[in-house]
Amino acid sequence: MSLLKREQWYDLTRATSWTPKYVSEEELFPEQMSGGRGISLEEWAKYDEPYKVTYPEYVTTQREKDAGAYSVKAALERDAFIERADPGWISNVQAHFGAIAVGEFAASLAEARMMRFSKAPGNRNMATFGMLDENRHGQIQLYFPHANTHRSRQWDWAHKAYHTNEWAAIAARSLFDDMMMTRDAIGVAIMLTFAFETGFTNMQFLGLAADAAEAGDHTFSSMISSVQTDEARHAQQGGPALQILIKHGKKAEAQTMIDVAIWRSWKLFSVLTGPIMDYYTPVHARNQSFKEFMLEWIVGQFERQLLDLGLDKPWYWAQLIEGLDQTHHGMHMGVWYWRPTVWWNPAAGVTPADREWLEQKYPGWNKTWGRCWDVITDNLVQSRMDLTLPATLPTICNMCNLPILGTPGDGWNTKDYQLVHEGRLYHFGSEPDRWCFQIDPERYKGHMNLIDRFLAGQIQPADLAGALKYMNLSPGEMGDDAHNYAWVQHYQKKAAE
Amino acid sequence: MAAFPVSSNFEGDFVIQLVPVDTGNTMDEVAAACAVHSINRRVAPRPGKILRVRRHSDGTLFPRNMKLADAGLMPTETIDILFMDA
Repeated sequence: MSLLKREQWYDLTRATSWTPKYVSEEELFPEQMSGGRGISLEEWAKYDEPYKVTYPEYVTTQREKDAGAYSVKAALERDAFIERADPGWISNVQAHFGAIAVGEFAASLAEARMMRFSKAPGNRNMATFGMLDENRHGQIQLYFPHANTHRSRQWDWAHKAYHTNEWAAIAARSLFDDMMMTRDAIGVAIMLTFAFETGFTNMQFLGLAADAAEAGDHTFSSMISSVQTDEARHAQQGGPALQILIKHGKKAEAQTMIDVAIWRSWKLFSVLTGPIMDYYTPVHARNQSFKEFMLEWIVGQFERQLLDLGLDKPWYWAQLIEGLDQTHHGMHMGVWYWRPTVWWNPAAGVTPADREWLEQKYPGWNKTWGRCWDVITDNLVQSRMDLTLPATLPTICNMCNLPILGTPGDGWNTKDYQLVHEGRLYHFGSEPDRWCFQIDPERYKGHMNLIDRFLAGQIQPADLAGALKYMNLSPGEMGDDAHNYAWVQHYQKKAAE
Repeated sequence: MAAFPVSSNFEGDFVIQLVPVDTGNTMDEVAAACAVHSINRRVAPRPGKILRVRRHSDGTLFPRNMKLADAGLMPTETIDILFMDA
């Protein structure tokens, strides 16, 4: 049997379009789900995806990818890298899996929305593969950590985190619910695939893969590199959708969706990836600082893509760049100080060598963040552990669901962007966080962050112990210092001299 | 007299924190309650200085003996706690 060449049948099969006879176009593509925005089906049919793949090609490639990643895992299992890995590295991996794995499964639903409801045939075709991609990502990122569940219950949080009211899980759910679970198909294409995946997954998956290889974790490195090859493909769904929106006078709406998604993604990555890259990863294994990764992947490459499409830099771009020197340092200090409230063991990352590296990468670190770490370190040297643990909760942003932070010490600039809306006082960690709320208050006004729930009496007893119970954190799961405070010895010796 | 939550933005600290106080507290007492969660935890004490309370949104410096109930703050509203000369 002779086979037709790919180019002879691809365009026909990718379209999967037909003329509805028994239902109206509105019934077939409800606006709430499709987001066609008044643009005709003929115009959406012009959507031209830059990456073309057929189902046989897809299956062959994916099989090879899975075989590669699973083979590396199997081959290195006896090597028991995890047994001898730096505890800070283990924290990286545990934080990553808990924050990402189940979210990947959720992303397959977002892809499925485009697959069924997008008015662009090419989008529907690519999203079919995207849905299968995300399903694979969920599976592989649950299967790999599962191998370690006998080592510690913290590994189980790869699956558990999203099913709890742990604060970081609330923050991650809030972001992903906003940009991928509750948007129409075109909104998903722009906010999830273009804004989030094009920019931020590159950093998490390529940046962390590089650090993993340096740290000797080849299993993790090959696994997340494998995931990223899918992301690089299905992230391209947003570009053609943006071109159609811009062509039909919808640039402002597209820009707003991008601006919201980038800001909210940035905030989540400032607490997830920032501490991992600049504090948890051992100094010798750090490829670049978090700021350098952000400048390369977001400020450099992603900004160029925005401008090439005819879009603008987000209005808050200068604030985001300024935040590269600040935000994640505060997120890290907050995670470490409130360490019983996370499912991994945060590495303080403030040995003399670490501090030298931080001062080099972030000039002025010692006079700002270092001032707070000086007090924390002195308390540990003097065996005042009680003063290094929280006795209350931080005030939390009503948009990003993360603590409201600023630069401490000599550069003190901590600021709360408050807003009274319909008689309720909301707190925001930045002007862009507040702006996200103000452009669509109906969407966000009902959400209760952890502090709102605490003050409403939902957390009982109303103390830290009650909060830990509310977050489903038990002994053996709650975080503690990754290195069991071994880093304090440097300073104890110095104090004894 | 009633329990009242404020958000404490303490000079030199990196995070704003929820602090339970009482509407009957003076501003000096409010500042002291906020200090418990910052001084000697992440902020070094500053001998010779006193703590003053300022409304975060508009910079109004409250008198030291003013009762919290008279300050017109909303529950959880953010206040700055500042080191000042006595």
